[in-house]
Amino acid sequence: MNGKGMAAWSVMTGKELLELVRSFKLIWVPLVFILLGVMQPVTSYYMPILLEKAGNLPDGTVIEIPLPSGSQVLADTLSQYGVMGMLILVLAFMGIVSGERNSGAASILMVKPISILSYIGSKYAAMLLLAWGSLLAGYLASWYYTWLLIERVDFAPFMYSYLIYSLWLAFAMAATIWFSTLLRSAAGAAFASLGLAVLLSLLAGLMPKYFGWNPGALPGYAYQAVTGEISQASRFGWSVGVTLLLAAISLPGSAWLLRRSPSID
Amino acid sequence: MSELLRVQGLVKSFGGVQAVKGLDFAIEEGRCVALLGPNGAGKTTTIRMLTGLLKPTAGEMRFHGVPKGGDQRSIIGYLPQTPAFLPWMTGLEFVVYAGRLCGLSSGEAKRRGQELLQKVGLAGAEKRRIRGYSGGMKQRLGLAQALVHRPKLLIMDEPVSALDPLGRREVLGLLRELKRETTVLFSTHVLHDAEELCDDVMIIRSGQIAMQGALNDIRVRHRKPVIELRVERDERSEKWLSELVRGLSAGSWDAAGRHGAAGLFEEAEMAGGGAARLIAKDVDAARELLLESMAKEQIKVAQLAVGYSSLEDLFMKAVSE
Repeated sequence: MNGKGMAAWSVMTGKELLELVRSFKLIWVPLVFILLGVMQPVTSYYMPILLEKAGNLPDGTVIEIPLPSGSQVLADTLSQYGVMGMLILVLAFMGIVSGERNSGAASILMVKPISILSYIGSKYAAMLLLAWGSLLAGYLASWYYTWLLIERVDFAPFMYSYLIYSLWLAFAMAATIWFSTLLRSAAGAAFASLGLAVLLSLLAGLMPKYFGWNPGALPGYAYQAVTGEISQASRFGWSVGVTLLLAAISLPGSAWLLRRSPSID
Repeated sequence: MSELLRVQGLVKSFGGVQAVKGLDFAIEEGRCVALLGPNGAGKTTTIRMLTGLLKPTAGEMRFHGVPKGGDQRSIIGYLPQTPAFLPWMTGLEFVVYAGRLCGLSSGEAKRRGQELLQKVGLAGAEKRRIRGYSGGMKQRLGLAQALVHRPKLLIMDEPVSALDPLGRREVLGLLRELKRETTVLFSTHVLHDAEELCDDVMIIRSGQIAMQGALNDIRVRHRKPVIELRVERDERSEKWLSELVRGLSAGSWDAAGRHGAAGLFEEAEMAGGGAARLIAKDVDAARELLLESMAKEQIKVAQLAVGYSSLEDLFMKAVSE
């Protein structure tokens, strides 16, 4: 990208961020992540009491639930993000390209001398910022409450698992922007992105030997990273490589889709 | 005067249907050009190809002043038919954003934005969200954002068709000012708007150019003398008139006892209400002949007007052929 393209990209990224602020996404998405992150250690800690008070168990039942380890709680937090967090992020961004095309705003923006790649790139940058920032805020909150209630988990495995999980979210966001470019319907894009994420995770979970290299295996590696050691280092390496490659391809891919679509707006 | 844009053999087909069937035209710098045609003639398709939103199936567009392989969008300002913006932005924010996308610095974009909003009469609403703008305000905001980078060519798709009479007058007034500063191309299906503003017209019909040229040339070249004749509605006069028209159409009017008089007329049609429209070849001889005949037959003439065919007649003829 030359200097002019870079300037346009940063102007557009600024606009995307302003849109996140004005639509309150920059506030409520991190809030939900923080809430999910805090809930996990809190419910783990109070589970015996909760069961006793609300479980409708007969009197005299003795409940002995061993307190999970701190790293286990963090892994559970990540798996919460895999469902709720992913859902929220995909829903928040499902119309990121198709919305502007359908409303007609794209026909005013696309006749400005901007490159389509930097248009897509600016949107992806804003998506990553929100996804990574929300994950960091929520995961840090979870780590802190785990420390308060259960035990302190070392910072290094925490950060390591955060980075691996960030990569998984980056992949999901790349899929969302791709489908949002491909499909005119926002709901369709959300459905396709979530479907793809579920499919890849299932494949990686059911047949790790054959599909351990796909991006869907990343959440599993993130759990392993926080609870202990990553067992299949070579498959993990493949998985990281493939994810980076796919995410990197999806941007020019989306730009290409947009350019060759019958009409840009 | 130098040429700004030359289009050759522009074709667009959707599936098997050709919406635009090979347009050739040129636009000269400083002119105001109207792309005129009925709904569905291919005006919007043509405009969207010029702006780069739609890829032509075939043909060539050359923008002078844009290097080969360069981006024509940098010299174009575009106002779509129903402009949509980012509703969560304020008017000023949007114009500044448009300016920055065109490569203006932030200070320059802001200055230019305020100046333009002032010009289009939105200075009072510049801090309001676009979500709350009325249709006319959006149209004016659309103009401001199209002009922010001082484009060499301003392209507008039906800029006034959706507005009420008041908004229409405002926008037309703005356009009259703008055309002094830049080259303007706009599409319309309303002949009157074209007549009011334009130097050149291109009339297109089902994807092809039916007629093009400077408005004055067309007017002079194609204007024909027209005799409008109205008689009172008694039986005798009406009968005479309908025989006259029938006879002229058949090419053998002999009411005056002069065979071959039809040679003086080109066309005759009943206009309803005891009136007829006659297009004459030799207006003086035709008038004399009519008067003579009416006097002889004691026809009660109510009105006899001699004038010229209007652009409207020409337009109707061009698009309905």
